[in-house]
Amino acid sequence: MESDELIINMGPVHPSTHGVLRFKLRMDGESIKECTPVIGYLHRGTEKIGEMKTYLQFIPYTDRLDYISAFPNNYAFVKAVEELAGIEVPIRAEYIRVLTMELNRIVNHLVAIGSLLMDLGAATMIMWGFRERENALQLFEMLCGARMTFNYIKPGGVREDIPEGFMPKLNEFLKDMEKRIVDYEQLINGNEIFHMRMKNIGVINAKDAVNFGWTGPTLRGSGVDYDLRKYEPYSIYPDLDFKVCVRNEGDSFARFIVRIDEMKESLHILRQVVDNMPVSKVISSAEYGIAPMTGTPTAVSTYFPRIFTPPAGEVYSRIEAPKGELGFYVVSDGTTKPYRVKIRSPSFCNLTAIPSLVKGLKIGDLIAAFGTIDVVLGDVDR
Amino acid sequence: MNAAEELKNFLPGSVISTGLQLNKPMAVIKKEELLKAAGKAKEMGFDHLSVITGIDYKDHFEVIYNFFSYSKKQNLALKVNLDHDKPEVDSLTSLWKGADWLERETFDLVGIKFIGHPNLIRILLPDGWNGHPLRKDYDMNSEQFVTVGENGDDIVSPDGTNLLRRK
Amino acid sequence: MEKGGFRVDPVTIDTTKIKITKKQPVTALDKLNDTGLISTVLAAREREGMILFSTIDQVFNWARLSSLWPVTSGLACCAIEMMAVAMAHHDIARFGMEIFRASPRQADLMFVAGTVTKRMAPRVKQLYEMMPDPKWVIAVGGCASTGGPYHESYSVLKGVDLIIPVDVYIPGCPPRPEAWIYAVIQLREKIKNQGYGAKWGLNK
Repeated sequence: MESDELIINMGPVHPSTHGVLRFKLRMDGESIKECTPVIGYLHRGTEKIGEMKTYLQFIPYTDRLDYISAFPNNYAFVKAVEELAGIEVPIRAEYIRVLTMELNRIVNHLVAIGSLLMDLGAATMIMWGFRERENALQLFEMLCGARMTFNYIKPGGVREDIPEGFMPKLNEFLKDMEKRIVDYEQLINGNEIFHMRMKNIGVINAKDAVNFGWTGPTLRGSGVDYDLRKYEPYSIYPDLDFKVCVRNEGDSFARFIVRIDEMKESLHILRQVVDNMPVSKVISSAEYGIAPMTGTPTAVSTYFPRIFTPPAGEVYSRIEAPKGELGFYVVSDGTTKPYRVKIRSPSFCNLTAIPSLVKGLKIGDLIAAFGTIDVVLGDVDR
Repeated sequence: MNAAEELKNFLPGSVISTGLQLNKPMAVIKKEELLKAAGKAKEMGFDHLSVITGIDYKDHFEVIYNFFSYSKKQNLALKVNLDHDKPEVDSLTSLWKGADWLERETFDLVGIKFIGHPNLIRILLPDGWNGHPLRKDYDMNSEQFVTVGENGDDIVSPDGTNLLRRK
Repeated sequence: MEKGGFRVDPVTIDTTKIKITKKQPVTALDKLNDTGLISTVLAAREREGMILFSTIDQVFNWARLSSLWPVTSGLACCAIEMMAVAMAHHDIARFGMEIFRASPRQADLMFVAGTVTKRMAPRVKQLYEMMPDPKWVIAVGGCASTGGPYHESYSVLKGVDLIIPVDVYIPGCPPRPEAWIYAVIQLREKIKNQGYGAKWGLNK
């Protein structure tokens, strides 16, 4: 019996929590023949706003790109500005930045794992994930006052030092997380349904993955051993000891396990940072050799000026954000506002491979494969 | 000898000049030779296309490609200058599949046409939008509203009377 | 603070010397009185029976405000705070929002959480029109109230109240879960005062 093909629209509002993403699916019965993602429902014009605000005023807008883990976005932009203007950062500020970044990595992977499992039907993991996330958000609140959108960083350091009572609470959090990760692994390894739904779904080999421009845990799940923190290190990562988590199978299960391994490595890095935290200033003061600035700093000012003008030039700087490689291309023409800010977001580039990844699968497999790519719509649409 | 100078040795006709993008080697390429130069860069080991940036300087456009090599751990940037009235350049989708959406986004926001792209339509803004927002002469004061037509497509118009409750 | 007829000064009071005796609730009527839920239970005490007197408005409003079911219309960063409010630490299932319904036809409250762009606006309006009456809308965050930090952008709708009527606005970027719960309580107060009984002063 001949049957026509069916066109199904997984609309912008659907109950999984990834945001406003739309798929146009052409189906042959239950299997997918062609899948077209339609994006742009959250396009807020961040790049155009970047041309209208000064450098410090633009930092809160970078928070809202990947809103689950906001600090790495801030840091990528500030790193680009610091490279452009030649600003040196005191060592304690670098340690605090790495501490916050690794905490953000743990938070991001908790939400990614939790929402993937919730899409597959198991609601336990997201409840556990958000319980851990509350503890981490209370730590962030002690540090800078906000739970999700920090604005804690400035070119030249961070705004304020670590308050009292932060370190004991952080140590408690680390001890707690170790025990919980063992719980999560038990939940996954003993679950046959999960294995059957995730293994051999959405397979991609290393050469194709690099051609599509994949980066981050999705690339490391396909066997390419590359991590920007290890091979093009920035900040204090050369002094820290950690390993890069790689799996060779290339299917959804491998990408999932890479994230759990990365959480363990982040705990290891956090312990090293806590043990070796030096004592120094946390923000570079106005004498650190930058271009002439507007506004008059006082003689005893140890604060970085609020309006500053870096020299004219362009820079492209990338970091290893939890979702992949996040890059900022900043062009400056010598005034107080950037001339062009271009954001290379990992979710946008990881999403291009979806049409070829899900040919022939069923809709349930589309959800499983798409969940492991870990897409956030604020990052895709900017 | 950095990567840009190596490229100049291989293809002396295509490379106009070499320089530095802060601390990464950058080569300025003639517009017609871009596909050849990018293919040569891929042979040299630069297999990761990181970003495609389009910039509107008021008298010309620039498109900048940033490459990275996983095997040699080196960076390379290629820059192409286009004229302001007719910004067109070859598309790299035949070499990198990831260039597809990056070029669509540059077309959408800056207005640069890529010749040879299989599906060059708008991606972030709805289909009928007027103008390219990241150009310097985009009019920010005029508002455009979007309504939904019969078969689910977006219709863009400056008048939103059937959508808004009040002005 | 008056307690039993004499003035108790809260600053110089010596709390070790005060013993407050409280009767343990024995009958079902006592337990109901303890909850403070229904103000007309005192009328029934004298009759020694479980008969409650109330107006239709009060009963309907109480039923509506105690089990508001929201529809998942989370668009951007505020949606993550919506998930955090719905989880175990700050629990809004205490306020009756047990399940977030996926389909708008089964819901009666819409949290517009996140930036509403021009491309998404007709879809949000369609979601609102698909919800059956009675329905309420809470605009969460700066972006849904007035456009927020993205006010100058070319593709952001300057507030969701340009397209749908809004009952409660929550400021913040993103608003704290405590602010979210306060907004839910304000909406419950608003629903309690709906109807003719409230207009004519009968709901005391």
